[in-house]
Amino acid sequence: MRQELEKKYTVEESQSPADGAHADIMTINMGPQHPSTHGVLRLLLTIEGETVLKAEPDIGFLHTGIEKTAESKTYHQALVLTDRMDYMTPLNNNLAYSLAVERLLGIEDQINNKIKYTRVILAELQRLSSHLLWLGTHALDLGAQSVFLYCFRERETILDIFENISGVRMMTSYICPGGLQADLTPEFEKLVRGVLANLPGRIAEYHDLLTSNQLWVERTRGVAVLTKEEAIAYGTSGPVLRGSGFAWDIRKVFPYTGYDQFDFDIPVGTNGDVYDRYLVRMLETEQSLKIIRQAIDGLPAGNYRVSDPKIAPPPKWQITGSMEALIHHFKLHTEGYRPPKGEVFVRTESPKGELAFYLVSDGGPKPYRWHVRGPSYANLQALPRMIEGGFLSDVVAGIGSIDILLGEVDR
Amino acid sequence: MAITAASTVEAVRSKFPQAVVETVDYRDEQTIVLQPESLVEVCNYLKQSLQYEYFETVTAVDWLERVPRFDVVYQLLSLSHRCYVRLKVRIGQPGEEHPTVASVASIWPAANWYEREVYDLFGITFAGHPNLRRLIMPKDWTTHPLRKDYPLTGFDLPEPHWGGQVPYTTDPGVGSEYYKQTLRTPEGRELNENRSKVNPSQEPGTKKPVDE
Repeated sequence: MRQELEKKYTVEESQSPADGAHADIMTINMGPQHPSTHGVLRLLLTIEGETVLKAEPDIGFLHTGIEKTAESKTYHQALVLTDRMDYMTPLNNNLAYSLAVERLLGIEDQINNKIKYTRVILAELQRLSSHLLWLGTHALDLGAQSVFLYCFRERETILDIFENISGVRMMTSYICPGGLQADLTPEFEKLVRGVLANLPGRIAEYHDLLTSNQLWVERTRGVAVLTKEEAIAYGTSGPVLRGSGFAWDIRKVFPYTGYDQFDFDIPVGTNGDVYDRYLVRMLETEQSLKIIRQAIDGLPAGNYRVSDPKIAPPPKWQITGSMEALIHHFKLHTEGYRPPKGEVFVRTESPKGELAFYLVSDGGPKPYRWHVRGPSYANLQALPRMIEGGFLSDVVAGIGSIDILLGEVDR
Repeated sequence: MAITAASTVEAVRSKFPQAVVETVDYRDEQTIVLQPESLVEVCNYLKQSLQYEYFETVTAVDWLERVPRFDVVYQLLSLSHRCYVRLKVRIGQPGEEHPTVASVASIWPAANWYEREVYDLFGITFAGHPNLRRLIMPKDWTTHPLRKDYPLTGFDLPEPHWGGQVPYTTDPGVGSEYYKQTLRTPEGRELNENRSKVNPSQEPGTKKPVDE
């Protein structure tokens, strides 16, 4: 009877290794609706007692065909799809995509310092908000509920800035190919300085709550270890790779959008466990604040987008007076721009790791191929290596520590 | 000796003169187009001798009209030398439903999921892959959505059970085989009317299996 049941219910790719010989080996299903899988991740876990013998991630529940859709849009229309990929870091996605399109168009040297500095400020604010969200949910998974409430309170103040400049809190599409969608508002600087004044004290509070908290340390130290060699072999990036002890940050190695003009450090872990990844992210928030402070102090005046009317639409006052401007406006919004034939691969450091866009142009107004190399996808691939051999309760800690977002894994 | 992208191209050219089809330098990014047969050999050399230890991504580009049809594009990164290079192989002869290229998952474990994704969305098989199954689409899916001849709207669903109306009678964009079988055309409607006879496990819009 038992054998029959097993034959019926065992899932094809995760059969019990002992083939039913031991009664304490079983295959269980975690997700896709489990609250600590951070979205719709399904894990097939083969466990013996409390020990995880095998883990098989099953993804694709959130597959929306973003790559296929983007290939039918113009370059500018495809921008809004990038928001919806990793919906906790839309500005970083906008930035990576805009840089890729700008390199394809060959207008990288037309981007002025005002645009670059603003992009850096926004990308780092988004990094802060993403890390705050991660910290809140990760701590909630491991049982620290108050951190969750505090983190969301701080994240609100950052989202208020995005709402102020772009009108929306999450799907901003504010950074676009050729510059920014609109000029900064007069309140922008005041709001950013408010966050800069508020957050350092708050982050110190989180350190007080967690960093030397005995319960937190016992739940995270030595858990879900990924060695440096494994981290590189599995293509992980971002805090996972740095937590494993490899100092690698695209902002430092291949500086983009003016990151080489700012002074900041890269926190690196040693053991590659959950605690090190936690510390790396916590220290990164301090470095982000440092970058924002330098950028807002040195924020120059200038145009908020390039002056080439073939790429950015001319201002409204010109459209009403000049036929040429009207034609440019019309052409841009009906057809879009046509980058020359070629292909680019632009990598950036998003809060979760290396986010890269691979664009192929066939000379037309729509991208011929639009591929995303997302950080969560590669980091999730290393998850079985982290949690196999550990305890079932540590699976939750492992998933939380790599900070996946399924919208970007499945695209 | 410091290795750069340009020196990598030169090294591969001199070491494997018969394997390199062409090299492209566009926007300071180096591309090496290789013969598909020598891909694994060159990848081993890049990993072992030139320290390209980080595998970023593999994807494909479907050039529908061209022969060979697909570009398979590999992005490699050297962490020690801080440089990157793009490899490309061209595969897919006419009439070949599932073109094959050798898998590099044994060289870089990171390639495992990326190759599964390319198999899933483009129908390119990777010889020697340890676990080549669909990853993103459902397991019983039969087609490959990122191919250029796959309609953007997907396949029309069967008529709603409450008997709603189909909004269009004809579709001017009819051209590919798939479009002929949607609800917007007579053939598609015929198929839809007979759908009670259609095998429920069959995806709407695909041809019937021959044995039925």
